[in-house]
Parts: sequence; C-alpha cells; structure tokens
Amino acid sequence: MKRRPSPILEHGVVATAGPMLVFSLYLLLAGHNQPGGGFAGGLVAGVTVVLAWAAGGPDTVRRIVPFRSSALLGLGLIVATLTGFASLMAGGAFLESGYLERTLPLFGEVKVVSALGFDLGVYLVVVGMSLGLVRALGDEAASDGAGS
Amino acid sequence: MDGIPYNESIEWVPSLDLVLDLRVDAYALVFLSVIAVAGISIFLYAARYFGSSPKVGTFAGTMTLFGGAMVGLVAADHLLATFLFWELTTITSYLLIGYSDQQESARSAALHAALVTGGGGLALLAGMVMIGTEAGTFTISTILADPPAASAAMGVAWALVLLGAVTKSAQFPFHGWLPGAMAAPTPASAYLHSATMVKAGIFLVGRLAPAALVAAEWWRPAVLGIGFATMIIGGWQALRQNDLKLLLAYGTVSQLGFLFLLLGAGDPKLLYGGLALLVAHALFKATLFMVVGTIDHEAGTRDLRRLSGLRTSLPAMFWVAVVAGASMAAFPLTFGFAAKEAAFDGLVGLGTGLIAVAAVASILTVAYTGRFLIGAFGGHHAGHEPAMPVGPSPRNALVRAPVFLAAVAVVIGLVPGVIAPVFDAGVAAAREAGTVGKLVLWPGFVPALGWSMFSLAVGAVLVWRSSLVGRATDLVGLVSQRLPSAEGSFRRAVAGLLSFADRSSGLIQSGSLPRYIAIILLVAIALPATALFRGGVPVGSLAVGGLLEAILGLLIVAAAITLLFTTRRFAAILLLGGVGYGVAALFAVYGGPDLSLTQLLVETLVVALFALVLRHLPASFTPPRFERTMRILVAVGVAVFVFVGGLTTISARQAPPVSDRYLELSVPEAQGANVVNVILVDFRGLDTLGEITVLAIATLGVAALVVPVLKSRRESS
Repeated sequence: MKRRPSPILEHGVVATAGPMLVFSLYLLLAGHNQPGGGFAGGLVAGVTVVLAWAAGGPDTVRRIVPFRSSALLGLGLIVATLTGFASLMAGGAFLESGYLERTLPLFGEVKVVSALGFDLGVYLVVVGMSLGLVRALGDEAASDGAGS
Repeated sequence: MDGIPYNESIEWVPSLDLVLDLRVDAYALVFLSVIAVAGISIFLYAARYFGSSPKVGTFAGTMTLFGGAMVGLVAADHLLATFLFWELTTITSYLLIGYSDQQESARSAALHAALVTGGGGLALLAGMVMIGTEAGTFTISTILADPPAASAAMGVAWALVLLGAVTKSAQFPFHGWLPGAMAAPTPASAYLHSATMVKAGIFLVGRLAPAALVAAEWWRPAVLGIGFATMIIGGWQALRQNDLKLLLAYGTVSQLGFLFLLLGAGDPKLLYGGLALLVAHALFKATLFMVVGTIDHEAGTRDLRRLSGLRTSLPAMFWVAVVAGASMAAFPLTFGFAAKEAAFDGLVGLGTGLIAVAAVASILTVAYTGRFLIGAFGGHHAGHEPAMPVGPSPRNALVRAPVFLAAVAVVIGLVPGVIAPVFDAGVAAAREAGTVGKLVLWPGFVPALGWSMFSLAVGAVLVWRSSLVGRATDLVGLVSQRLPSAEGSFRRAVAGLLSFADRSSGLIQSGSLPRYIAIILLVAIALPATALFRGGVPVGSLAVGGLLEAILGLLIVAAAITLLFTTRRFAAILLLGGVGYGVAALFAVYGGPDLSLTQLLVETLVVALFALVLRHLPASFTPPRFERTMRILVAVGVAVFVFVGGLTTISARQAPPVSDRYLELSVPEAQGANVVNVILVDFRGLDTLGEITVLAIATLGVAALVVPVLKSRRESS
C-alpha cells in the first residue's frame, strides 16, 4: 500500500520546518533565563519530525533532520556527561555550573553558562528519541531499520 | 600480656563518620594466635602441596585475603566492621571451596556454603543493626559494658545474631554445608573449615554472650541445646564416613558444637575450657587435615576402605597422626586432655545431664578417632586391596608443617602452665572474671576425670569392637535415611525458593500491560493511602479559583468523562490529549509557563506517536467484562487517593517548601533566572542525566522490539 502524500501539506511542512527548528534552538538557548530549555526545545524539534513524517514519510524526515537517531542519542549523552566532567575538572562538583562573560560584536554582553552544554545534551537526546520512535513505529521505516 | 587491650582507631570515611575501631584484648589474642600459627604452617604446607600448579597464585591470594579478613574480624571493635569482615570470609570461603571450578560438585558445594553462611550473615546484620540502634553505639566494648535491656525487639535481635553464628559455625541444623565444603583443596579445608572461619561464629557468641544474657534469658538453653545436638550428630556422622576428609569434617562439626556451647553459654568456667579446647582443636585438626592431604597426595586416595598399612610407608605421618589423634580423643598427657578436663570441670558444676551428653559425644570422638587412625594406618600392605602406590617417604613441607603443629601440641600438652595465663587473661577480658579454671597435666581425682576416663574406656571398646559400631551405624542409617538430611533439606529449600520465585513472577510478570499498570498504581498508592487513613484526613481550606479555572476544569472533566464512554481507540487518544492540553492550560493560568509549554509539547508528541501505533491495532476496543470491572476499581481507587491525598498534602505542610531555597539560589549560584531550568540542569542535574539516559535506552528498546515485529509481519503478508 503506497500512500499518496498531499503535496501541499508536504511543502507546507518543509517550509515551516526550518523556522520551527530555529525556534527550538531559541528555546534551548533562552531556556536558562526564560521559559524553554533543552527539553522543551527538543520536543519542538520532535514535533517537527513527527509532522514531517505525517506529511511526507521517511524521505521528508531525512531531508529535515539528516541524522541517525542513535547518533543523536549517543552524542547527547556524551555532551551531557562531558559537561558534568568539565565542571569536575574545573574544580567544582559534577555538573556544577560555571559561566563565561564576553562582549561580542553585534550581540553585546553575552553570558555563556556551562549548563548550556548540558542542556544541549538533553536537547539532542529528546530529538533523537522523537526521531527514533517515529522511524521505529512508522511502518515504512521497518525495512531500513530504526537507526537509519 | 603487656599492652593489652591494644586499641587502634583508623579514620575510614571521615565524611560519613565511619571509623575503623580495632581492639585486641586477650580474648581476641587467643583467636589471633590460632589464626597466625595455623596460618603459617598451612601456608608452608600449601606451597609444597600445590607445587607449581598454575593456580597457586590465585589460591595464595585468596587465602591471604581470608587470613586478613579473619584477623580483622577478631580485632574489630565495631559491630558493622565485624560484619564486613564476616562477609569477607564468606566470600573468600566461596572462592576457596570452588577452587576446582571445573567440577560441578565443587561449585555447588561452594554455593551451598555461601548461601547458608551468607543468609546467616544477613540475619546477623539485621540483628547487629537492631542492637546497635538500641544501644546507641556500634562499638562492641561499649555495648558489652552497658548492654541494652531485655525487650521483645532485643529478643529478636539476639535470635538473629545467634542464627548468623549458627550458620557460620556449621551448627545443627545448618551443619550440612561444612562436609560439602571439603571439596576445597585440603590446605583450605585445614585452615578455613577447621581452624579459623568456622570459629568466627564461636568467636562472636563468646564475645557477645554477656550482653546476650542480659537481654534474652533463653540464650543459654538455646546455645547449649544447639551445641549438644551438633556434637552428637557430628560425632555420629563421623563414624559412618569412609572418606578420611569427610570423617574429619563431621568430627569438626562435632567439636564445633562443643566449642559453640562452651564459649556461647556465657559461663566463665566453660569459657576457660572452651578457649583451651579451641587452641587444642586448631592444633590437632589442622594437623590431621594436613595428614589427610599428605596421604591423598602420596597414596592417591582418601578412602579408608582402600588405604592400609600406611604406617610403614609414611612413618612420620603415622606418628604425627597418633599424637594429634590422641589429643583429639583427649588421651591423658595431651593438650586435648588438659583442655577437655577444664571444659568438663565447668560442665560438672552446671549439672549431671549436661556432662552426660558431653560424655556421649566424647565416646563418639574416641570411636571416630580410632576409626581414622586404624583405617588409614592400620593393617598390612597385603590387605584384600592392592597396596597403594606410595612413593618414598616425603621429606618436605608436607611433613614438616604437621610435625611442627603436633610438636606445639605436645609441648603445651606436657607443660600446660606455659599457655594457661593466656586463657586466664582471655576469660578475664571477655567476662571480667578472675582466675576460674585450671589447665594442668593431671587434674587429680575429680569428677571431671571420671567422666573423661569413662568416655575413653567406652570409646576404646567401640574401637575394639568396630564391627559392632558398623552394624549399629548401618541400623541407625536405615532409619535416619528416612529422616530429612541437612544436605537434602537445603536442596529442597533452594528448590522451593526457586519454584516460589517462578510462580510469583509468573503471577506478577504476566506480560499483560494493563495488569502491569494496575500493579504499579496499586503498589504506589498502597503505603501512602494506609498512612492517610491512619493519620486522618485534615482537609485544609481550598483556594477558590476564578472563572478561567472553572471553565478549564469543566473542559478537562468533560473530556475525561467522554473518554470513558468511547470505544474508538483514536477518539480515546485524542480525548486523552484534550485532558492533557487542559491541564497544560491550567499550569499556564497558575503561572508555570515552562511546565505548561513542556506539557503541551509532550501531549502533542504522545498523541502523534500513539496515532502511529494505533494503525497496527483494531480501530475499536471493548475489554472483557471482568477486566473492565477490575480496571474501573483500580482507576477509582487511584483517583480517590490522588484527590484526597492532594487535598491533604496542601494543608499538611510543616516544613518550608524547598522551592524557596531554589528561588533564592537560582541566580547567584547558577546564573539562571528560569528556576525550572536551573533545577533541571544544575540543582538536580544528575537526575536529569539519569532521565535522558532512560529516554535513550527506552528509544533503543522500542526500536529493538518493534522493528523486527513489523518486519516479520510485512514479510509474512
């Protein structure tokens, strides 16, 4: 049973996918001081993935997020753990926050908190989860495996 | 005896207030010298016994670890440190019994020993924690100085401690593991299962008896009963063995029973005899084990029906065995005799019944000693069996170590005065009593001597008419085969436990998702619900919401009620999502934008993922009537609990909320104004790390479970 995707829906999703992913990154970056964070950001990206699957199937998903879910999961865990160890190396406790303040052109005063690295890990894992679940549960993906 | 008691305190984990308190008093010193003297000779012996076997390093390492644990056990002045070393001896014993790890029998014997002594160790730990909590300290010397008073809880605690000691020291009815442990190489048996590890339980009851007697008046009768039963059963079983090592093992069980009651009864006089007998036993039993090891090594068998005439081929071993055997049978002029006299002297004072039972056990001891000596060394080469291929008499550590131990026994047997002060001090340290016993070459004509001579004479007759004994043991064997044996009961207990585990997991882990959810929910509410009912339900005043909340609440309730009456899966999922959206909106109204945002996104994702799954399921569903009823009951129960619990917890708060502190610290500590995010990535960052790990694993699990199923379904269609 080959399904017939609606071209309008597919193009619409592809067009909005970019802004949605940007929004998800915004949530990730802003999360430390405003509503958002790695989890919420990752979920927005995840919803984008689900939408893409519904509109165009696995090919569309691949166009929008061209990564293997297992790679995202692993990378996320590595980033999160390394952040923890970085705090440890810097003399703090595991996962204790440190921060860097720089003045950048265009942005002005920017404060980067080490917890952002951890949040990035959370973000990647959540995106990886959405991607993995969609590929595993979507019928069409069954032939080429969960992680591909 | 100068510098005794010697105290040493080592900071272990200062941040947890864990200190390793060591205290060596004269009582511990008796055990320490046994551990050291037996240990040194057995190590020398083992070096020759194993020769250049590739596993000799493993063996030596494990034995050293064991020896260290044993030293720690007797030197520790802290209940929990004692327990730690106690368990360490269990583990090393497991490794040593299972030394021949290619043999199934050795592995199962090791497991048997580990399960029995490990299970007893758990009981011991529970008992120790109860005692330590009640006493307000875990320091043994402090507890002994001021023991907790009698109470129901202390009765249980001391029973648990006793259980731990009984299993460790192979007392009836847990003695079954010790003969099995003879699967260990002979040096390990000689060290662990005769001289040291099995004496850990005896050490403990001897150490703690004064405190136990304060709290439990049944302690002494229980110890005496267990000890005597073990003595008789062990002695009797020893008479029936044909394997020299098993004979010694059952003999050890019997002797351990005697030591157990002598040290555990809490009587200074018995303790005196017990300490002397402890040293005597370590000397002669380790010697005899090494003799058996040498015989096994040289003749290739330990079966006394096949051995004969070793007297001529192993003369040194013969004389060593005679000396050690005489000590075991408590023949006059040996140290075993002096020790047993001291013990009997104490028993005479406690009642004729007790000494009579001890005499019966002594008769059995004499009889199995004779069986051992005559079976191994008696007869001639020209027996009905061909002579064993015995090589030239070994002149090395295989001979020297047992000769050394036997010589020590002879010296202190002939001049008991040299060692007697040690036991005086030992008793004084453990019981705060003055000089109570005497250790002499010849006690003079006292009642105890009469009992000794009586048991020696009857034992000698039994040895002389050994065919009578054989017939009697066969006869009793016919009866006792029908009785549960220790080994058989253990096997049945383990099998019963496994089948119980099988059945209970079959019941709980049925593979049915609704049942899993029901069990999880019921267990989760069981305890707090009980507490709620017992504590009453203080329902506080509720903050009444505004119009917006009312509308949202109505929407949620409407969606939930509609959900109950739908039979279409897809509609049910959408309605569930509706409930979730409603709750998310409530969060937003109450000022939790983060929570609300996340809830909204999760609901969206879940509905979408559900939709993917639903394509593989029938469109509508109606569970069977019974299942439906059960689900309604569980759901109503959980709902009522959550409702009442929520009302109660709102009004029951006593401590300031933890969120105050988080709010206060969020910006200065973590440079974040969004406290929810700061909690996730900083304050509770480790939790989050755990959660995302679970997410990753669950995703991989779903992929691993679902993909093959879908694949095979596609291939079959």
